[in-house]
Amino acid sequence: MQPIPARIKLAGENSAVVVTWSDGHVSAYAYRYLRGKCPCATCSESGPPAEAAPSPFPIFGVKPLAPERAELVGRYALQIYWNDGHSSGIYAFDYLRDLCPCAECSAKRERAANTH
Amino acid sequence: MSNKINPQDVLRALSVIQDPDLHRDIVSLGFIKDLAIDDHRVSFTIQLTTPACPVKDQLAAQAKQAVQALGVPEVNVQVTSQVAPGRGPRTPLIPLVKNTVAVASGKGGVGKSTVAANLAIALNLAGAKVGLMDTDVYGPSVPVLMGGSEPPRVVEGKLEPPVEYGIKLISMAYFLPKDEAVIWRGPMLHKTIQQFLGDVRWGELDYLIMDLPPGTGDIQLSLSQTIPLTGAVIVSTPQDLALTVAAKAIAMFKKLNVPILGIVENMSTYVCPQCGYREEIFGHGGAREAANKLGIPFLGEIPLDPSIRIQSDRGKPVALDGSTPYGKAFQDVAAALAAQISIVNYQTPQGITIE
Repeated sequence: MQPIPARIKLAGENSAVVVTWSDGHVSAYAYRYLRGKCPCATCSESGPPAEAAPSPFPIFGVKPLAPERAELVGRYALQIYWNDGHSSGIYAFDYLRDLCPCAECSAKRERAANTH
Repeated sequence: MSNKINPQDVLRALSVIQDPDLHRDIVSLGFIKDLAIDDHRVSFTIQLTTPACPVKDQLAAQAKQAVQALGVPEVNVQVTSQVAPGRGPRTPLIPLVKNTVAVASGKGGVGKSTVAANLAIALNLAGAKVGLMDTDVYGPSVPVLMGGSEPPRVVEGKLEPPVEYGIKLISMAYFLPKDEAVIWRGPMLHKTIQQFLGDVRWGELDYLIMDLPPGTGDIQLSLSQTIPLTGAVIVSTPQDLALTVAAKAIAMFKKLNVPILGIVENMSTYVCPQCGYREEIFGHGGAREAANKLGIPFLGEIPLDPSIRIQSDRGKPVALDGSTPYGKAFQDVAAALAAQISIVNYQTPQGITIE
């Protein structure tokens, strides 16, 4: 059986969503990285929005990107509600697992890409 | 020795008995309850995970033998059941429904609704609390199959489903004049599915059986996204063509991480009532082969018999009577299904927490 998340921590350390998988693996996704990988039709067509430019009025401040909340979709995916108002991305668990940025998973992806 | 029986000895004796589906002994599974011992008598209850357990009697007999072998003259074994709730993520829409089972197919006309209705009946007869939800909004057929004419009533702002043969029912057919058609696009279907789940007073159910429309479209996706399904049952005829398309339904559920509980072969063999000649009109055994190839449980075969059609049209599902070969076939498939549900629930990791 493919691994599924056991625990999802939205407010993980270093501005990251931390997923503990059923096989024990732990993935930490930086908010900006995960938002950039949004699989919804709009984002995959035109790419995610660029990082907000520094505010010309620093007095108002710029809220850093973060997830507000998240919901499970059936038993296969996670839907994240970002504080930039975007929520249409449904991150399927296998997609999420493939995105894992840890050294081990990155190396595995690289090997797979080289053999093709 | 016989008047000094110790509970540990009894449990040790029982722990050699394996549940054939869960592949673990019945003691460590926590099935043994209410163990009581006096001088010459040992009594206990075996609590199974489904009332439709196919090996109920076998387990009870084995348990009795094992304890008798300790030299106990009188052994009392009771068998009860408590359906285990699905262990996947829970949904607030139907909090008291323990298991949700989608009955699906690739092609239409393979007998999904008939199978769904009869499985619901058979599970109910075995002692489970069952609901039947007709998600085929375009071609609803559950009310005809289940007989009765009472529509749902509104109670405290929610729909009270009609009950036929002890089964709570909901269907689009209740809300539509007989000759009207539903001509809707996806978003309306999605809303209907959500209402059938959240706005119906299902109450406490062991199994909610869901009759799906054919194919891999809006309703299948809405259902799989709206609730964490316990699993899906695939209905197919033995014909190659139907099986090829059934594989697509299986692929969809795999993609959505919905466990496949098994394949049912419908319209399997026709036996001529005049001469007893067996005619395999759509072939035979194809679904079993496909199940083996795909590594999916095979739940059983339902024969092709005009009585199934006749009784379905009259609203008297054949599973009500287990003395006929086809009634028995449905009851056997239901038992196999209940066993698979227990297995899936046992294997599925605990729910997912979001913090």
